[in-house]
Amino acid sequence: MDAIVARYSRTAGVEHDDLRGEEQYDCSAPSSLPLLSLPPISQPAAFLRAHTDDASNPDCKIKIAHGTTTLAFRFQGGIVVAVDSRATAGSWIASQTVKKVIEINPFLLGTMAGGAADCQFWETWLGIQCRLHELREKSRISVAAASKILSNLVYSYKGMGLSMGTMICGYTKLEGPAIYYVDSDGTRLKGDLFCVGSGQTFAYGVLDSAYKWDLSVEEALALGKRSILAATHRDAFSGGSVNLYHVKESGWTYYGNHNVGELFWKTKAEEQSFENVPTDFTVDA
Amino acid sequence: MYSEPYIDPASAHAAAAPIEHRFNPYSDNGGTILAIAGSDFAVLAGDTRHTTGYSINSRFQPKVHTLPCDPPILVSANGYSADGDTLVRRLGQRVQWYSYNHNKAISVAACARLIQTMLYGKRFFPYYVHTIVAGLDEEGRGAVYSFDPVGSYEREQCRAGGAAASLIMPFLDNQVNLKNQYDVQTGEPKTAVYLSLDDTIKLVKDAFSSATERHIHVGDHLEIKIITKEGVKVEYFPLKRD
Amino acid sequence: MDVILGLTTKDAVIVATSMAAVRGVSILKSDDDKTRVVAPHTLVAYTGEPGDTVQFAEYVQANIQLHGMRNETELSPPAITSFVRSELAKSLRSRKPYQVNILIAGYDTATEKPYLYWVDYLASSAQLPYAAHGYAAYYTLSLLDRWHKKDLSLDEGMKIMEMCVAELRTRLPIDFKGIQVKIIDRDGVRMV
Repeated sequence: MDAIVARYSRTAGVEHDDLRGEEQYDCSAPSSLPLLSLPPISQPAAFLRAHTDDASNPDCKIKIAHGTTTLAFRFQGGIVVAVDSRATAGSWIASQTVKKVIEINPFLLGTMAGGAADCQFWETWLGIQCRLHELREKSRISVAAASKILSNLVYSYKGMGLSMGTMICGYTKLEGPAIYYVDSDGTRLKGDLFCVGSGQTFAYGVLDSAYKWDLSVEEALALGKRSILAATHRDAFSGGSVNLYHVKESGWTYYGNHNVGELFWKTKAEEQSFENVPTDFTVDA
Repeated sequence: MYSEPYIDPASAHAAAAPIEHRFNPYSDNGGTILAIAGSDFAVLAGDTRHTTGYSINSRFQPKVHTLPCDPPILVSANGYSADGDTLVRRLGQRVQWYSYNHNKAISVAACARLIQTMLYGKRFFPYYVHTIVAGLDEEGRGAVYSFDPVGSYEREQCRAGGAAASLIMPFLDNQVNLKNQYDVQTGEPKTAVYLSLDDTIKLVKDAFSSATERHIHVGDHLEIKIITKEGVKVEYFPLKRD
Repeated sequence: MDVILGLTTKDAVIVATSMAAVRGVSILKSDDDKTRVVAPHTLVAYTGEPGDTVQFAEYVQANIQLHGMRNETELSPPAITSFVRSELAKSLRSRKPYQVNILIAGYDTATEKPYLYWVDYLASSAQLPYAAHGYAAYYTLSLLDRWHKKDLSLDEGMKIMEMCVAELRTRLPIDFKGIQVKIIDRDGVRMV
């Protein structure tokens, strides 16, 4: 009974059932979950799919950015995180300069694959939750707990059409370097090595073939960068540039933006690789 | 007395449940917008044509708005104009409330984050708009932020949005960020430098007159709003009316 | 999904095919050979619609052999590819097209050069240093981009092929019952 009373005893003046969410905010108590408005129909998820999913409806009006390659792996010297920077809507390249690593706080990184807004919004929200944890508990949150907050959140929206595939990477005294894969169907996996996105298979190919626990930091960064390059070469939805990060006990450090335009030719010349790309155009008889 | 009319059990069941028509609350009102950031200025420009399908509803329906704050911030939400107008009006109110609550004007960076929360607030019933914001950052440099319909955003040097984005954006990549341009002497890729305000406006005019030539939803008038530390200036230029 | 992989070395082509023959939810055979020798120095490896695959491979095999007997000469790998491609193009425009994707691996005894061609059921064809069909391509092409070099020795080529197979074993979610490897060089076709 109390629950029912609480539900209908809001103080707001005029309130239409179909106008909840963004229009409504109160300045007093910050709630941990933002209110999201829903269309006034019985099947909101089907509505959203019809208007935003270009796979099931190619001429849908709202294009949501998809397609990516991201990777993270644990090794002797911590964690390397590498991502591409392309955002696509259908075959249109919406941006070549997307930041797909979200700096949650100086010790935690989140990667972005799937819906750009979903990842950006909920991972910054995760940053807020991590700070609140710090203030309440007087200690930094573990990677396990942080990733669980996110996975519980996305699980509560299961079936509503959120789309994210992310790796939460961090370093704590308790856990050492840790990577958790979290996706929008609620999967949460702890692991040493993950590649996520449309270019994942291509990144796995190169990464698996040269990965060792004993890699030096320099070697590990080079391998992360090279694996993303491999994916940008074979997956049309990945490209732009490579962003590189290293996570160790003192937090993460950024290792620069590497444009595929120059990186490719430099790599090809150094390695004598990418044999499928001709440099002279004499046709074989 | 009259006899009870026959009621088909199937239709009786249907009548009991609320009738739900195919729900399509979206439309596309065309038009295109463009923003460029300079060293101490930013411009946000848009055409003023308003369309549905192949019909032109208005030749002068401006869509570049100045938010009620000081220093001012420019914003345009292009796509479905009803959603765009709603978003901009609500944003204007939130920006005023911000100044009352905090006793200071909102920064462009904070305004951008606010827009993200507003757009994402309708994640499951999105505003059908491509939003661009232009202003001066806390160091006085030009700032442009662009958003997808559900709130993912990024700060950029320049961005085109709306119907002719795919025509204008490649031109901007080449002329503003000097993509695929190489130094004749060294062969090294050219590095982008800030454009002057005059050059920027020339570029904006060329972009829109060219888009008007090749896109049916672009034309009539070009409205350019220029933001500097002196405030906002507005300039209008005619575009082809066909 | 079948694995069909090929790579060229300085003077040979290495072709790897998976040994599982799958129908529905069952593996019917675990030592299947998805290749046909169509000429003394040319091999066709295939994947696609069950039935169509073997029918098409044996059809081109028979016609190439007939050509060999009539003219007492061996067709070069480029000539064979050209013939196979045209047959697929004809088939594509018929009432019931062959749905077969193939790799053609050969050694041209006249020019003393190895050849590898990628051909799909739509009759697109490309000569490549390394090639793959199906899901295997998603894992191995980036690997080959990285490690394949011009003028590899046969040993080096085999090493790279082993890397590809190791990657498929770790990442492909289905058991393809092992890989069969054949080498095509100046001595013809031989199984490893």
